[in-house]
Amino acid sequence: MENSKSNTVVPNNGKEGPIRCIFFCEFHPTAGPIISCQVPANYISKELFDSISVYIITKAELQKSTITVTLKDHKILGFPVRIDDKKYARNAFHFNLCFACDSNARTVQYESVVTKFSDYLMSMEMDNNFLSDGKASIKLTPILTQVMEQLNKTGECALTDGPTATHLKVCQIRLDPPSVMDHQVPLFIKALPEQQWDLTTQQVTPYIDGFNHVARIAALSDVENNLVKACVQNLVYYGVVALVPLFQYGNVYCTTPKLKLLAQDMLLQKKCLEYVSKSKRQLPTLRDVFRMYAAMTRGTTIRDLCVRFNPPILRIDERKLVQFGILEQIIRRVHKYPVILSEQSDLQKSLSGASCLDELCCSIGVTAQQMEDQLERDHNVVMLWK
Amino acid sequence: MNMDVSPLSIILVKSDSKGDRLLFRYPFLIKQNNEPSSTHRKNPYTLPIVEDLLQSPVQPSSNINKENLTGLTDEVLSSLFAVKMELCNRKFELKVNDVRFVSHPTLLQLRNKQEKEDDSGIMLVNIVFALQALASHSVVKCYHDLSKRLGIVLKYEEKRCGYVSEQTQLMTTALDDGYPNGPGSAFKIILEKCPLASNIKKMYDDLCSTGLVNLRINRWIPLSFCLPQKVHQWHMRGKIVEPEDIDRCLNALRPYHSLLLLHPLQQMNDFTSLDGSPSLVRMLSQYSPLKNLQTLAADSDLTLSHVFELTAHLVYWAKATVIFPVCSTNKYVISPNAPIHINSPLVETFYETFPGVNLNRVISEFSLPTSLGQKCNPLYHRSQQSHLVQTIIWMLQHHLLLQLHTYIQYMPTENGLLHIKSDQSKKHMTSPSPRSSTVMSNYQATNTEYPRAESESGASTVSETPELLSKAVIIENVSFTSTEDDKQDFQEELLLDFTDEERSSIFKIPATNTPEDLKLFAKLCRKEYFQGNHHIEEIMYLENLRRSQLLQLLDKFRDVLITYETEDPAIAMFSCSS
Repeated sequence: MENSKSNTVVPNNGKEGPIRCIFFCEFHPTAGPIISCQVPANYISKELFDSISVYIITKAELQKSTITVTLKDHKILGFPVRIDDKKYARNAFHFNLCFACDSNARTVQYESVVTKFSDYLMSMEMDNNFLSDGKASIKLTPILTQVMEQLNKTGECALTDGPTATHLKVCQIRLDPPSVMDHQVPLFIKALPEQQWDLTTQQVTPYIDGFNHVARIAALSDVENNLVKACVQNLVYYGVVALVPLFQYGNVYCTTPKLKLLAQDMLLQKKCLEYVSKSKRQLPTLRDVFRMYAAMTRGTTIRDLCVRFNPPILRIDERKLVQFGILEQIIRRVHKYPVILSEQSDLQKSLSGASCLDELCCSIGVTAQQMEDQLERDHNVVMLWK
Repeated sequence: MNMDVSPLSIILVKSDSKGDRLLFRYPFLIKQNNEPSSTHRKNPYTLPIVEDLLQSPVQPSSNINKENLTGLTDEVLSSLFAVKMELCNRKFELKVNDVRFVSHPTLLQLRNKQEKEDDSGIMLVNIVFALQALASHSVVKCYHDLSKRLGIVLKYEEKRCGYVSEQTQLMTTALDDGYPNGPGSAFKIILEKCPLASNIKKMYDDLCSTGLVNLRINRWIPLSFCLPQKVHQWHMRGKIVEPEDIDRCLNALRPYHSLLLLHPLQQMNDFTSLDGSPSLVRMLSQYSPLKNLQTLAADSDLTLSHVFELTAHLVYWAKATVIFPVCSTNKYVISPNAPIHINSPLVETFYETFPGVNLNRVISEFSLPTSLGQKCNPLYHRSQQSHLVQTIIWMLQHHLLLQLHTYIQYMPTENGLLHIKSDQSKKHMTSPSPRSSTVMSNYQATNTEYPRAESESGASTVSETPELLSKAVIIENVSFTSTEDDKQDFQEELLLDFTDEERSSIFKIPATNTPEDLKLFAKLCRKEYFQGNHHIEEIMYLENLRRSQLLQLLDKFRDVLITYETEDPAIAMFSCSS
């Protein structure tokens, strides 16, 4: 089709790309490995197929492995299957259902789909010789077309022929989310998708308001702490929730180089003003917001800023201001790490510099102010801000 | 994303008229464990699933066991990597389950069979790196490059003295002889006998430990290779540095930056002798972290562009990093990722370098932005001062400190720069200020004015720039001893290319009555220095201004200029996560 000559490959390294072609190959008893059906037709040429058939109709050891071979213009992803049975000409039937994508596209997300689709075909074959009765090509073409179109369009496809229905879904492979800490604050960054969430999630989500930290949510929702963490981690994985540091008036933030975007990017400005505004009717001015962000330096607490700027007069909600800044990475929290310098002390474990003040406060259950006052009196403790 | 970029295994496969064969792999398993690892933890009470028994046994979906390649026999590997002619002499990439194989299959003409016209004189040599499937595109690219270069070396050595024929012959013989004692033993003999095999072993060990490969193949051709994703680990643990990151940093190099070696100068000798570039030696002889690149270039009598190239080289090979030269006005804070705690090995090393000083105590003084000047009072002895500089340099070398710069944002109205027309705001996004364009062209001509077209400061009213320029020049020559009315005119004209809205808010500032101030302000504004892309030091450098001049100006125009402190994104990549 229009993509068949992809000599001018767009360098989208590592980005997910659509499926360009689905083809079905089998080991023919006399002709050897052949493509018996492909959609769109002639996408993979005979010559090309011959040069890579060893990776598609493979040796026994590689059966049921997901194999991806990257060529100059294509990336071919398959799952070789062998069905042993006396009824076949060579006592076994080899086949492989392959997806072809652009050579620079990321394709891991299709691996599970290819595996499941192959399993589906395998069960069809075992039930009623669906693939080996000589008419596979005619029967497969509409199925392959349907799968390719729907997967590219919606990422989902249901195969309802045969005794059982099979649902294919392209699942995004994401990195494992970091573990959730007691003192972190979850915050919705998009609406929770309408679906039947598990009971814990249903119980926890009402308390996620962007200000309660995890330990507090556990207490409020009467759910065990580790379950809350697991639930929040799950929501983070799906990109529904982001974790921000706990808001306190004694917190210190600093600006990042991204602050300049706020002056340049109109969309960001609009989003920002709407987000940080105290009331919906009258928005704050950009200059005030920018000034407040710009004044966030190490050593300046939010309390200091509030005294200096008086945000309610400027129609700014300082808690929202900080939240927006963190989410857009305009500002960054400066954490305090107490470090004890004396050698023999039982505090060495907690005041090692590995955990920040928030973490310590949360685990001991004292306020940051109390803790800081306490530590300030001890000359063996230095406070590192970073 | 913290993943291991070390190879799982290196495999050498040949294919010629006698067929394909896996000649060597490293590491080879010392003892073939007959039972698969999965059975160890199998619950003896689990019922076998009936459907599975009907089919051929299910293959394990992982081919990695304790960071080793497993589950694939030598024959299978050999058949996979003895690629067809069509796939030769180009990148080969194959992923099997969770292992990714990368190589550059190379065809070479065997020396002693050169006369024959048929295929029998051709051999395919494929040196394959097995990586974790998660390995990123850039890691794969680097390994492909290494395989390609090895291929070129082998091709050349075969042509010169039949090296490949000789080595493959040795390996084949050993494989044929040694097999009765188990598969591993043959590889052990090969490793003892064949220099090429020990080269592969050394390459594997180097890639796993440092990421720096230094080989001399056939005791003749040197092969040095650097895996940037790995090599930068030693000074930035846990952070994967991609070649693109380094490129970005190097594109942002400026003459006022300076080079900071990560090793003592004496240790650089090994590196320079290998490299052999006399200009590198010359540059290093003049090296000081207090000099900027421009001075360094002048002192070592090299062109600036060449010094940039040498810097790029040193940074890529993790021998150096780029900083703003250490001076008394630099403000430092603790870097957000600084791995400091009481058990950190850095504390120990610091103590060894500076006896009697505790790193945690020293660095705690940088909790708040602190400059060298603030810390040095006049009572300070010279030696103490140099000691202070030494500790700062040490902390910069270990990426514990981050320098803050002051940036300026011009915000004339309450709603920011609303007047920017959409097309121009687009220009801002895509091709911003002179800063991000190519390095050299801008700085070769530091003294010449930027072309006006480039520095319109987003004002659309002036398109006939030469006219205005001449006007401005005329104005400059006009004496300022004129009446109040004239002064008003003069102001108006200076800000001709600003919108009405902007002008009205600027004229509220009392300093606009001083022509010098207004002129400087207008000039800097037109050059887009106040868009957050240039820090004060850069403006000082480019415009040849004194710090006090600029600070005064910023203070006078503080109603429309907002300042903030942050790190220089160009060089902060080595200390920040973002």
